[in-house]
Amino acid sequence: MRVGTGTRITLRVLALGYLFVLVAVPIGVILWRAFEPGLATFIASISTPAAISALNLSLLIVAIVVPLNVVFGVVTALALVRGRFRGRGLLQAVVDLPFAVSPIVVGVSLIMLWGVNGWFGAIDRAGFQVIFGLPGMVLATIFVTLPFVVREVEPVLHEIGTEQEQAASTLGADRWQTFWRITLPAIRWGLTYGVVLTVARALGEFGAVIMVSSGFPGVSQTLTLLVHARYIDDHNTYGAYAAATLLMGIALLVLLLMTLLDRKRSDR
Amino acid sequence: MITVTAARKHYGSFLALDDVDIDIPSGSLTALLGPSGSGKSTLLRAIAGLEGLDGGTVTIDGRDVTAEPPQRRGIGFVFQHYAAFKHMTVRDNVAFGLTIRKRPKAEIAKKVDDLLEIVGLDGFQHRYPAQLSGGQRQRMALARALAVDPQVLLLDEPFGALDAKVRTDLRQWLRRLHDEVHVTTVLVTHDQEEALDVADRIAVLNHGRIEQVGDPVTLYERPANDFVMGFLGSVASLGGQLVRPHDIVLERDHAAALALDAKVADSPGVITATVERVVPLGFEVRVDLRADSGERFAAQITRRDAAELGLREGETIHARATSRSTVVDHDPALAI
Ligand SMILES: Nc1ncnc2c1ncn2[C@@H]1O[C@H](COP(=O)(O)OP(=O)(O)OP(=O)(O)O)[C@@H](O)[C@H]1O
Ligand SMILES: [Mg+2]
Repeated sequence: MRVGTGTRITLRVLALGYLFVLVAVPIGVILWRAFEPGLATFIASISTPAAISALNLSLLIVAIVVPLNVVFGVVTALALVRGRFRGRGLLQAVVDLPFAVSPIVVGVSLIMLWGVNGWFGAIDRAGFQVIFGLPGMVLATIFVTLPFVVREVEPVLHEIGTEQEQAASTLGADRWQTFWRITLPAIRWGLTYGVVLTVARALGEFGAVIMVSSGFPGVSQTLTLLVHARYIDDHNTYGAYAAATLLMGIALLVLLLMTLLDRKRSDR
Repeated sequence: MITVTAARKHYGSFLALDDVDIDIPSGSLTALLGPSGSGKSTLLRAIAGLEGLDGGTVTIDGRDVTAEPPQRRGIGFVFQHYAAFKHMTVRDNVAFGLTIRKRPKAEIAKKVDDLLEIVGLDGFQHRYPAQLSGGQRQRMALARALAVDPQVLLLDEPFGALDAKVRTDLRQWLRRLHDEVHVTTVLVTHDQEEALDVADRIAVLNHGRIEQVGDPVTLYERPANDFVMGFLGSVASLGGQLVRPHDIVLERDHAAALALDAKVADSPGVITATVERVVPLGFEVRVDLRADSGERFAAQITRRDAAELGLREGETIHARATSRSTVVDHDPALAI
């Protein structure tokens, strides 16, 4: 299709304008509002005991969820791409389920399963609190972030095929060695991207987590819940902006770190 | 020595290997030759252990490896599309097998450098496969396979993805390498010229069966059936028998043709035909003919004979096979 210069410029302006208004402006406003009163105020706002505890909790959830998702995601992607088993179609659909189901629904169903009166309520009654505790929040986060690693790794596995792995096996590598030395490096970009998406979503998840968290400041409040609580409950608008900025900062940091790490590894 | 006995392989209901028996002598360079889908790759991959068999056994140097995975068969394998490790440099690719075997660093470095020199990739150590040409990638893959000192080297259409010039160069080079290294080598190809050029033994496959095994001269001159004959070089059908086009003699004079024919007991006799086209092919001339029966065939004669005959399109000529020609009775069931 041939496009005239005028049309092309118009299209570009439209695309950029769209991104600007919908993404850049809201983020810009938050940043501006967070740093407007000065850096000292910002730091004070994000170092209250509640904020520090929320940060720790968010990071702890990420630290639990990411390794689980990496292992499960890679294994599932391998099964989906390489496996020839009955129920593969079903597995495909199940992996996409978290995209389709509203996070609130996830929270509700977790309560129905693990709550005191739920199916697995016996565990709760025995003293191991799932709902309104860390396990519940981890479960909710795992549910909503489950597809990312699988869906990022799957196409890469398709693309690389099995020839390199076969070559490795003819050269004397057993399955483990082949996996560590050939498969994993080959899928590392997809994996990296999947991890970044998982981290971002785990940090930012609200709907599913708020259902299963008791929401006590300093105890069971994640950073995202803190933003919400400050804004809605405490009418502390500034505190919400500051916490939101911190949240964004962490996500950006993760992205940057993963990119750097990967560059370093491939430069080796 | 590789011995394959009664190898059988199904893909679903499709029979890809049908009771294949073959011996590959130590130190030989054997070509598995056959049309597309005849089971060459399947047989090679079964020897490598990359494909399991439904029945039969594979032994390498007297050791039954039928149940062994590829990594314990002592093989080197070269893939048509190189299967280069894309995230590793040329050096790391070639070193892979030795690294897996945890050889000392110095030994690995020396061996890799030696091999890269042999395959003509000296100075490419630090490149990535993406920065190499197809031919260079394949030479790297060869060095990688040779690095582990395999008992047998298996190559699946290693030059298939390369252009004609590079392909001929590389197969000459492979032949010279084989003369130096003497590793038992099996080469899969569907190109009869390639098989005749490099191999000292050829096994012709068709529909998952081995039609004939032998040295190139035997296969060319005494093919077991018309499939083998047709696959190794061009053929003309002359009065219901297959002959090589260059074994056809053309005479203007019917009597002369008959007189010569009288001395040949087992020849198809004299066929009268019309010249349809005369095609100069450099040293030889191809004459496209149509017999009175309507059957079309081609004869290949020298430039000088063609000049003496002074053939023109539309003329009538008498054709017969020479006395020492390769003749196979035509069996339609085996036709390509
Ligand atoms: N994984 C598979 N699944 C099903 N059928 C297969 C598979 N691999 C091979 N086949 C079939 O088995 C037959 C033999 O295949 P094979 O790859 O050995 O042929 P080949 O002689 O190497 O042909 P080519 O010259 O085209 O590579 C073919 O008809 C092919 O369709
Ligand atoms: Mg093949």
